[in-house]
Amino acid sequence: MADGMLLQAVADTANTYPDFPLIGSRAAVWIAAEVHLMFAAFVLGVPMFAVVTEAIGIATKDARYDRLSKEFTRLLLVAYSATAIWGAILVFILSTLWMKPWGYLTKVFAPSMWLYAALFFFESFTLYLYYYGWERWKYGRSKIVHVGLGVLLNVWGTIVMLIANSWLTYMMTPPRDITPTTDPSSIKLWHAIANATWMPINIHRLIANVVFGGAIVGAYASYRFLAAKTDEERAHYDWMGYVGNFIAISALIVLPFAGYWLGREIYQYDQSMGITMMGGFMSWLWVIQAFLIAVLFLAGNYYLWIGMGRIPGAERYQPYTKWLLVVLVLGALVWGTPHTMIADSRELAAMGGSHHPLLGALGVMSAKNTAVNLMILATFLSFLLYRRANIRQVVPWAQTGTRIQAAMFVIAAGIVLFFGIRGYFVEAIVRIGYSVYQVGAVLACIVFVTVIDVLMARGAQSLGAIQWGKMPPRSQYALFILAVTFTWLMGLMGFARSGIRQHWHVWQVLQDTSKYAATPALGYAAKMISLCVLIFLSLVAFVFWLGGLAEKSTFVPPISTVEAPHVEH
Amino acid sequence: MWSTNLRIIGVVLGTLALYTLIANKIPQVQSEVPHALTLGANVTPEQLVSAGDQLFHGAGGCTACHGLGTRAPNLLTDEKGAGPIGARCGKREAGKDCKAYLYESLVSPKAYVVQGYEPIMPEMGRILSPQQIWALVAFLESNGGTVDVTASDIPASNAPAAAPPPAGGSSGGGIAGGSTDPMTIIRGAGCTGCHTVKGEGGKIGPDLTHVGSRLSSALIRECILKPDTRVAKGYEKFVGVMPKMFGNQLTGAQLEALVQFLSSQK
Repeated sequence: MADGMLLQAVADTANTYPDFPLIGSRAAVWIAAEVHLMFAAFVLGVPMFAVVTEAIGIATKDARYDRLSKEFTRLLLVAYSATAIWGAILVFILSTLWMKPWGYLTKVFAPSMWLYAALFFFESFTLYLYYYGWERWKYGRSKIVHVGLGVLLNVWGTIVMLIANSWLTYMMTPPRDITPTTDPSSIKLWHAIANATWMPINIHRLIANVVFGGAIVGAYASYRFLAAKTDEERAHYDWMGYVGNFIAISALIVLPFAGYWLGREIYQYDQSMGITMMGGFMSWLWVIQAFLIAVLFLAGNYYLWIGMGRIPGAERYQPYTKWLLVVLVLGALVWGTPHTMIADSRELAAMGGSHHPLLGALGVMSAKNTAVNLMILATFLSFLLYRRANIRQVVPWAQTGTRIQAAMFVIAAGIVLFFGIRGYFVEAIVRIGYSVYQVGAVLACIVFVTVIDVLMARGAQSLGAIQWGKMPPRSQYALFILAVTFTWLMGLMGFARSGIRQHWHVWQVLQDTSKYAATPALGYAAKMISLCVLIFLSLVAFVFWLGGLAEKSTFVPPISTVEAPHVEH
Repeated sequence: MWSTNLRIIGVVLGTLALYTLIANKIPQVQSEVPHALTLGANVTPEQLVSAGDQLFHGAGGCTACHGLGTRAPNLLTDEKGAGPIGARCGKREAGKDCKAYLYESLVSPKAYVVQGYEPIMPEMGRILSPQQIWALVAFLESNGGTVDVTASDIPASNAPAAAPPPAGGSSGGGIAGGSTDPMTIIRGAGCTGCHTVKGEGGKIGPDLTHVGSRLSSALIRECILKPDTRVAKGYEKFVGVMPKMFGNQLTGAQLEALVQFLSSQK
């Protein structure tokens, strides 16, 4: 009898979780979800700055911005199809291999899924109107209507993202009154949507999509730069790469603040989930994350420093770059220092305790927050030097303004260091509050220094135009490294977010009873992430190639001044 | 152009290979699933201790905090001169023996937060089965104390642990042996561990002395069955502390007797 029941249980499990040939169900759903998400991030991030770039073009009457914006949008057309195809693959995999969680989610979220499909329809057709109406609505009032279409495209895209985010955040942090015995069809839709991590994830993803879109556009521009045959083409793609990198790094600077908010909400929802994420089996993940972000900061700054070579007057600031490099490297080393890790008895004995006797002091949040805030300040200073490289301010208070800017940097760095050191002598709950002061000081410095700089630049004397296109090829490979690293980092953070649910489809409500219930170690996850990044980048390269083909097919050569040979009849 | 393409492919593959290599060189830790325990009627203390040991060091996730000396009290080693947990568990709460204290602190940890630590421990009854919880109790007792968990403590069912604590609990038919006397239910269910009723009890949860003047019968019933749906002002930080299993433990008559009694407290 008992054997019979056991066999029935095994049969039930097999029916609930059919397996995928060769690679298994886990790898299948991982690839489908990850590649879909990468395309989704791209098609949500790029329209944001496509419309902003178009608006800048209208305001400045600089045709380069309009061309740039249209070029972004052309990349979107094929990317949308790829997003939809991978979305369909994901739904088929979920509904055929992961019926248990999929069935549960459809019971809770069905109406939002119907709305999602309808919005995707609206979004696609708004994109078609936006792209194909570009030349028709190019001038006068119709151009404003065209920008309005771009805004509408972003509105649809953002709502689509908010809906999808509600599903995955519900799986992480279902409202606490929902238990394993709660009938999913009785759960009110809004109650499920407005869960603890929904809004933090929304904000985090919104910013991250801009970062990601900027990085991919930067990689596209660098490819076109390397392939360019004329100086004009090279100049355009050099400028485009700079804009992509600028957007990516600017948005990256604010991303950690959104990340802190998300982390705090996870801890407040369930401390054990937060501890699993930061100090449990995922603790090593943050060391890898620190390494990746260090690469991003270094590559982004390296690109800027090389870029200063094409700016007349930048040589005044080049001696400072080595000190910025020192701050970035030291900051990265501190940020990557492990602290409270899962360790076995042999490792604990080798360290002489749960923390390393010397480096353990650098592994705590006080040191890490200080390091990352100083790295952000150093990167902002790089941007500032780049920005003012080819101008000489003529306003009478220019020297005073520069001194005030320098004082603001010193004060911000001082506040960051003060609270970083003081954090060692207070309780954890007080220490967590210090990060707000550190972040506040850095943000205030960024805002006020930028305002002063803009005012100081009024009527400034030019030391020469930026020589767009005169960049060594190695600078373009830095943009490729940025794009690969951003994409990989996105995969890693996706693993962290999803993995902290451990063996639960819906945290402490719906258990994963499949043979893949155990959450894999970082090594396996890294292989999956690299595979997904490779698939995504290969497809994106294909999209870029198609974009190039479309450009060639619509290319109209300039009218020749040489008359066609006269043919005698 | 092909040389440029090859260089780009090389940069992309090289970067991916570097990240994959680094992630595979660090210690590999997989999050295990707690396996269901099947403990027969003749289970020995040694078998319980062994199962608890595996849970403690593995799927239970206990070592993420206990033993680091910062997030949670040391359990297997000395804590502030009081010895390991088995030696000190019987002295933690007046009137509670070691077994009862350990069980309750696993199922309702927020009610037993040791001074100097944050209330961060999850309710293990939501994660582990009763058999697994009892195995953990036995393992913890074995560290400096005497194992007195027996097969009779362990329910046959392997459903998630939402069982009442052994001390003051009931063996079936509702809490407190199915009694419908409100104060017997209140004491039996451990409500006075947090709430004050008729001048008796703690101050972790809202004072229930005049609860009938604040809440209707329907709301009182809802708060008993789904404690976190309505949180009293000033008690937000204790969300999640009150157990959610009273709907399964109280009989219908007990629930109604309790609701009527609390409604009359004006």
